[in-house]
Amino acid sequence: MLGLLGEQGSDFAHKVDYAHDIVTIISVVCTVAIVGTMLYFAVIYRKRDGVDHETPMIEGNSLLEVIWTVFPTLVVIWVAYLGYDSFVDMRTVPPGAMEVNVTAKKWAWDFQYANGKRTTGELVVPVDQPVKLIMTSKDVLHSFFVPVMRTKMDVIPGRYTYEWFRPIKTGDFQVFCTEYCGDLHSGMLARLKVLPKAEFERWLADDSEELKLASMKPSDRGQEIYNKQCVACHSLDGSPRVGPSWLKIYGKEGQLVGGGTYKADENYIRESIYYPQAKTVAGYEAAKNAMASYQGQLSEDDITSLIAFMKTVDGTQKIVPAQPAAPKAADAAQLAAMSPAERGKALFNDPGNMCYTCHSIDGSRLVGPSMKGIWERKSKMSDGTEIVSDASYIKESIWKPQAKVVEGYPPAMPAIYEGKLTEENVSDIIEYLKTLK
Amino acid sequence: MSAHATTAHNEELNYLNWKTGIWSWLSSTDHKRICFLYLFTILIFFFVGGIAALLMRLELATTGPTIPSVVTSPHIYNVLFTLHGVFMIFLFVVPGIPATLGNFLIPLMIGAKDVAFPRLNLFSYYLYVIGALIGALSLWNPFSGLTAVDTGWTFYAPYSTTTGSSVSLMVFAAFVLGFSSILTGLNFIVTIHQLRAPGMTWMRLPVFIWASYATAIIQTVATPVVGMTLLLIIAERVFGAGIFDPTKGGDPVLMEHLFWFYSHPVVYIMVLPAFGVVGEIIPVFSRKPLFGYKMVVLSSMAIAAVGFVVWAHHMFVSGISDFSAIFFSLVTFLVAIPTAIKVFNWVSTMYKGSISFTTPMLYAMAFVFLFMIAGTTGIYLAMLGVDVYYHDTYFVVAHFHYTIQGGAVIGLIAALHYWFPKMSGKMYNETLSKIAFALVFIGFNLTFIPQFILGMDGMPRRYYNYPPEYQNMHTLSTIGAFMNGVGYTFALVNLLMTALFGKVKAPRNPYNSVGLEWQTASPPIHENFPETPVVDKDPYHYGTPAHV
Repeated sequence: MLGLLGEQGSDFAHKVDYAHDIVTIISVVCTVAIVGTMLYFAVIYRKRDGVDHETPMIEGNSLLEVIWTVFPTLVVIWVAYLGYDSFVDMRTVPPGAMEVNVTAKKWAWDFQYANGKRTTGELVVPVDQPVKLIMTSKDVLHSFFVPVMRTKMDVIPGRYTYEWFRPIKTGDFQVFCTEYCGDLHSGMLARLKVLPKAEFERWLADDSEELKLASMKPSDRGQEIYNKQCVACHSLDGSPRVGPSWLKIYGKEGQLVGGGTYKADENYIRESIYYPQAKTVAGYEAAKNAMASYQGQLSEDDITSLIAFMKTVDGTQKIVPAQPAAPKAADAAQLAAMSPAERGKALFNDPGNMCYTCHSIDGSRLVGPSMKGIWERKSKMSDGTEIVSDASYIKESIWKPQAKVVEGYPPAMPAIYEGKLTEENVSDIIEYLKTLK
Repeated sequence: MSAHATTAHNEELNYLNWKTGIWSWLSSTDHKRICFLYLFTILIFFFVGGIAALLMRLELATTGPTIPSVVTSPHIYNVLFTLHGVFMIFLFVVPGIPATLGNFLIPLMIGAKDVAFPRLNLFSYYLYVIGALIGALSLWNPFSGLTAVDTGWTFYAPYSTTTGSSVSLMVFAAFVLGFSSILTGLNFIVTIHQLRAPGMTWMRLPVFIWASYATAIIQTVATPVVGMTLLLIIAERVFGAGIFDPTKGGDPVLMEHLFWFYSHPVVYIMVLPAFGVVGEIIPVFSRKPLFGYKMVVLSSMAIAAVGFVVWAHHMFVSGISDFSAIFFSLVTFLVAIPTAIKVFNWVSTMYKGSISFTTPMLYAMAFVFLFMIAGTTGIYLAMLGVDVYYHDTYFVVAHFHYTIQGGAVIGLIAALHYWFPKMSGKMYNETLSKIAFALVFIGFNLTFIPQFILGMDGMPRRYYNYPPEYQNMHTLSTIGAFMNGVGYTFALVNLLMTALFGKVKAPRNPYNSVGLEWQTASPPIHENFPETPVVDKDPYHYGTPAHV
C-alpha cells in the first residue's frame, strides 16, 4: 500500500509491509488527533489580554477514562496480532528448503553449499526456492540482515541460529551486518544474488576454481595465494618492499624490534601471518602496523601451503612473481584510444602496480591514505607541515614515497615505481585520481 | 530600630547566601545545594556527550570519510558513539531529573526540611563524581596502553570481553555510578514515606512526587542487577571466568538478558520524572486541575511495574526462542496503555482552561507532540515481524532519541525553566528562552525525522560508512543536529547568565501556583519553610468548583 519499506523480495515481505502500513495509519491518525486537539484547545482556551478567565474545576470523567483505557487496549491487541502473524511466517521454514551454512567472522561472510562449494561475501540463491541459512560466528556477535527479504537474525559464536526466505524475484541485493562487531562493522557487507533456477544450477555445479586449488601441490597453491595476497609487500628476489623479502625466508634468523631474535620456522611464520604485530623484524619498525591479521582470511591449510611455497624460494631457482604481461600491440592501441583518466584507472588497477592493495578509492583506510578526494586535499605530513596534494606532490609521492609521509600512516610504500611508471603514466594516474571525488 | 534591621537582614538570607565560599557548597548537605552540584556536573557531561554526537554527525554528513583529520579511523568513530552513549545515559540522563530537580523539589513539595538522609545524599553525589571520573579515564587513559572503549554503551559480549580496550575500567565506573543511583533512590523513597507534612496524604502528593517515587523504586530494584552484570564482565575479562565467552562454555545471550533487565527499566528512570514535570506544568498554565489525577498516578506505577517484564523486546532477533519473543512482544504492548492514558489526561487538562504560553508550557506541549511520535514508533518496534526489519537500524536510533531526548531532556529543560525562579530567585527572559525553544524544537525534529526515513530504507546503526544512496537524509540530519546543539547551548547559557547577572527578582509565586514549593520564599531559606506547613487541599486546586 504505502511502500515505505521499499522493494519486496520474499514471499512474507508483503505481510510485514501490511502490518507496517496498518500501524502507520493508526499512528498518524492518533498523533494528528491528539496533537490537533491539544493545539485546538490551546487556541480557543488561550488566556486573552493577559488576564485569566474563570475555569471550571474538572477533576476527571470516569466514562472518558474508561473509553481511553479500553480503546488503546483493543488497538494494541490487533496490532500485536499483526506483528505476530508476520513473525510466525518468517520463523517457519517450509519443508524442502535449500540449506546454506553461513559463517560470520570479523569482517566477512562465508557461505557453504551442500555440495561443498564455498563463497565469501556473495550469497547466490535460486529464485522461488526457499533458502534456509544456518548461521554461526567464529568470533563475536554479528547479524545477517537482508532488507529486501525483511529478515534478520543475530549470528552467535558457539551456537546456530537460522533465518529463511523464498526469493520472489531475481536481482542483486544488499546484505548488512547489523550487530556491532568492531572497527570494520560498516564494511561487513555482502551481496545476495538471486538467479533463475537453471543459471543457479550451472553456477553451483561450476567447481573449476575449487578443483584446481584442491588438486595442486601445496607449494603451487601457496604460490597462487602469494600472487593474490602477499606480492604487494613481500618480494621474492631479496629487494625490500613494505615487509621483508621472502628470499631464503624459511629458516632465516635475525633480530627483532625491541630486542630478541627470531628463527623463521613454521610456528613463527604462522604467528606472523595471524598476529602480524606480535613480532617485528628489526629494520621494519616503520611498517609495524602496515600488515593486517589474516586470521579468518587464510585458513590453516592456506598457511601450510604458503610455508611449502616459502621453502621453494631458496635462491636455487628464480621464481617470477605474477607480473602482468607487457601490453600487447592490440592493448597498446586500446590504451591509446582511452582517455587519460581511463588509462590511469587501468594503471591503478593493474596487478603489476597493485596500487589498490594499499589505497582504497572509497574512503576506507588501508595501509596508505585513501585516494577518494585526494586531488587538492590538504594533509598534514609527519614532519608537521601541511601540503596540498597537487600534481607535483602526487608525482613525488609515487616516485619517491619516503620524501613526504602523511601523518598517521607508516612510511611503508616501496620505492619501486620510479622507472616502472613513466612521466606519462603518472599524469594519467593523476587524471584518474581527479575523478575520485 | 535594630530589631527591624535584623528582620530585614533575615529576609535576605536564603539557601544560596546563608553560607558562602566554595567549600560551603562542596560540603553542603542541603538538598537544594546538592541539586546544583549535580546540575553543573551533569551539564558538563551533557556538553561533552553532545560534542561527541556532533562529531559523529559531521563524519556522517557525507558518505566515506568526511572529517578524516578528526575521525581518523572507524575506530575513533566507534569510540565516539560509545562515549556519547555512556555519557548521555549513565552520566547525564539517568541522574538528570531525579538527582537535580528530584533533590530540589521532593522536600519542598512535601513540606520537609530536607531529604531523610542528607549526608547520604552528599555521599551519593561524590560516588557519582568518582564513577564519572573513572568512566572518563577509561575513554582517555594516559597511564595505560589500552585504547579507549569501543564497545557501544551496551557492552555486548563476547566483543566486550575480548576487545583490547579499557572495558573493565569503564564497567567498574558504571558499577560505582549504579551505587550512587541506588542510594539516591533509597533516600527519596524514605523521604516520601516519612517526611510528608501534616495533611500531605498520598493522594495529595503532586504527580512529580509520584513519578519520582516510581523512579526511585526502579533505581533501587533494577540497578543491583546491572551492578552484578558489570562485575561478571570484569570476572570474565580479568579471570577468564567463562560466563559469556562461548569458547569456555559461556553464553553471550545471557549478557544481553542481564544488561536489558536493567537497561530497559532505566528508560523509565529517565522518562517517568519528565512525565511528572509535564503533569506539574500543564495544570498551572491551564488554570485547571490535572485531569484524572488518580489515573495519572496509577499509570506511573503501572509503567514502573510493567517496565520490569519487557526487557527481551530488545532481543527479538538475538536468538531467544520464538515463544519468548512472542511473550515479550505481548507484554511490551501493555506499556502502551498507561502511556496513552497519560497523554489523554494531559490534553484533557487543557480543556476549558485559561492557557498562557510561557516557555515551560511550550516545552510541555512540545513534549506531548514528541512523545506521541516516540510512543507510536515504539509500537512498530514492539510488533514482532516489523521489529525484525527495524532492529538495529536508524529507525531504532530515531525512536529512542524521541523517547530520551524528546522525553527526558526536553522534560529537564522544561523543568529548569519552570522552577528557575524558585531555584535562582530571578525571572528568566521569556523572549530569549522562546528563541532557544524554537531552535531546539526545529533542530531536534530535523535531526531525527530523516533518521526514521533512513531506518525505513534499512540503514543499519553504528555504521562509520554507508552506501551513497543514504547520503541526503544523513546530510539533513547533520544540519538538524547542529541546530539542536545551538538551541540547547542558547537555552542553558541564557539561564546561567540570568541566574548570575539577572536583574529581575522573582516573587514568591510568579505563576500563582498552588504547589507547596511556591508557598515559601524565592529562593527558599536554608531549611525550606519558616515553620512546617499544613496541607488541606488537593495538589491542583485550580478553577471554580462546579455548582451542584
